[in-house]
Amino acid sequence: MTDRGVVYDLGYVPHEGARLGKPGAVRATIKDGVRRVLGLRRRARKKVLPWILFGIALIPAIVFVGLAFFLTSFVPEADSPFGGHADYYDLAGPVMVIFTALAGPELLIPDREEGVLAVYSSRPMRASDYLLARGAALAIVIAGFLVLPQLLMYIGFAAIDSDGFVQTLLSDWPNLWRIAVTSVAFLVGYGAPALFVSVYAKRLAPATGTLLGILVGSTGLAAALSESGAFAGSRYAALLAIAQHPFALRDWAFDQSSVDSVVADAGFGPVWSLAMILGIAVIAGGLALRRYRRLM
Amino acid sequence: MSASIIATESLGHAYGDIVALHHLDLDVPEGRVGLVGANGAGKTTLIKILLGILTPTVGAASVFGKSVGDETLDIRGRVGYMPEDSCLPLAQTAADFTIYAAELAGIPPRDARQRASDVLTLVGLYEERFRYLGEYSTGMKQRAMLAQAIVHDPALVFLDEPTAGLDPEGREEMLDLIGRLGEFGINVLASSHVLTDIEQTCDWVVMLDGGRVLRSGPISGLTETGVVEVEVLGDPAAFERRLVEAGASVERHGRTLVVRLDGGDPFDAVRDALADSGTGMRRLDTRSTTLEDIFLEVPEAR
Repeated sequence: MTDRGVVYDLGYVPHEGARLGKPGAVRATIKDGVRRVLGLRRRARKKVLPWILFGIALIPAIVFVGLAFFLTSFVPEADSPFGGHADYYDLAGPVMVIFTALAGPELLIPDREEGVLAVYSSRPMRASDYLLARGAALAIVIAGFLVLPQLLMYIGFAAIDSDGFVQTLLSDWPNLWRIAVTSVAFLVGYGAPALFVSVYAKRLAPATGTLLGILVGSTGLAAALSESGAFAGSRYAALLAIAQHPFALRDWAFDQSSVDSVVADAGFGPVWSLAMILGIAVIAGGLALRRYRRLM
Repeated sequence: MSASIIATESLGHAYGDIVALHHLDLDVPEGRVGLVGANGAGKTTLIKILLGILTPTVGAASVFGKSVGDETLDIRGRVGYMPEDSCLPLAQTAADFTIYAAELAGIPPRDARQRASDVLTLVGLYEERFRYLGEYSTGMKQRAMLAQAIVHDPALVFLDEPTAGLDPEGREEMLDLIGRLGEFGINVLASSHVLTDIEQTCDWVVMLDGGRVLRSGPISGLTETGVVEVEVLGDPAAFERRLVEAGASVERHGRTLVVRLDGGDPFDAVRDALADSGTGMRRLDTRSTTLEDIFLEVPEAR
């Protein structure tokens, strides 16, 4: 062992490797967004709520598949209120409301209020790229919440079905597109209001509170207004039940009807719900783009 | 003159009725360029236009020959930006954010990690890299902001008031870092309202006032006056007489003479006068002016 050390100053090393340009920037923004909403590489308190919600969304599916595996008498769709693919959204839907109310603001507000948008402004991406990347991050995480439990049940129940694994998978395949359609409806139906509020709110907690108020409170308001008959065309107020539109599309996809649906009770079919979801998404997206083009 | 990195042609920008930039014509060479002017002179507006954040009301600009507006993403792929206000996510560690800043510039993830580590070492934050940015002092935040601006090895970095809010020691360290960027082959456009900062770090200066260009040129050329200051031993009368005979104008302050010579080299005149008069010399110096002097000399800037 030598008693003399030598310090080598390598100095500054220029980057001679690849530069991935806009695709690299967008990929990085998506990755950061996923980490951010799940609290990864953040303080422990940032992880608590997302992972509790993820647990609430996923664990029942694991339990149902487990029960069905160990108890041959257990029939998920008959013995559990959430055991079927369609019914599972009755559990996942409220979880989604809370999750998007937390995740939407988390994706946009800190970047804007902490001045981080200035960094994006010096990188090879535009406002639309940034917003799409943030939306993609939300979609990836929500897909995890909505699709993973469904896939687990789809594969798990097929594995223990007496008709055989492959045979059951093939006979149940229409459930896959139903799950896809419904999950997209929840993503856009809840994500668009989250985008709308997050574009204008300055702080996380008020934004989350406002979103919960809009998503939860709008159903009660819509019901009260549409059932009051206080003004001409008051039944159209039922369309303000923003949180119920994804359920309406779920019912259409799975060919069923919900017992308590303000929208359906007022006589509006799934096309109206689709139009409302798309309308809100277009308005929220347009306003977001307008604002962010001025910022970056 | 070296190649131009920034060029503007009759560039103007207005915020409603308030005109921030008036028909700027600039041709800025490679190197370390200072953008000086009082608050509200239009420095930040100019930088934001060059980054494509703001759209010029009139005129055109280019960076590395690429048109701002039409080729904004190409420009953004080659530049870094350290804004005047904080741009740091307080809930992230310096290491994570610097890696992210590199990836945002298109650096592949593995290279981004290595570069972030190198650059944080360079700015003196390596030991503190796993601390959350919200826990950093003002000086450390400024260093982290510089790190994100250069982590992707940009060809040009825009530094908007890089020493703002720093104590004297932090300011010196930041200026030293900026000075070193030139050694790394990174061109710098640093804005400041502190003229001495620009004098210390840059070799070219663009002086803005009220959205107009007062001067644009090399700092050495701007601060050289062509005036020589000589302190002599003994009686300076004979020396002064010789200088006047040679056509120089002389100001005398005790044994110190300030010599101006139009149409000739004042050093040659001083050398000859000293030899002819047999006068001994204690000190010979050029008298240089400061950017502040120049700034105040320009009528529009007063």
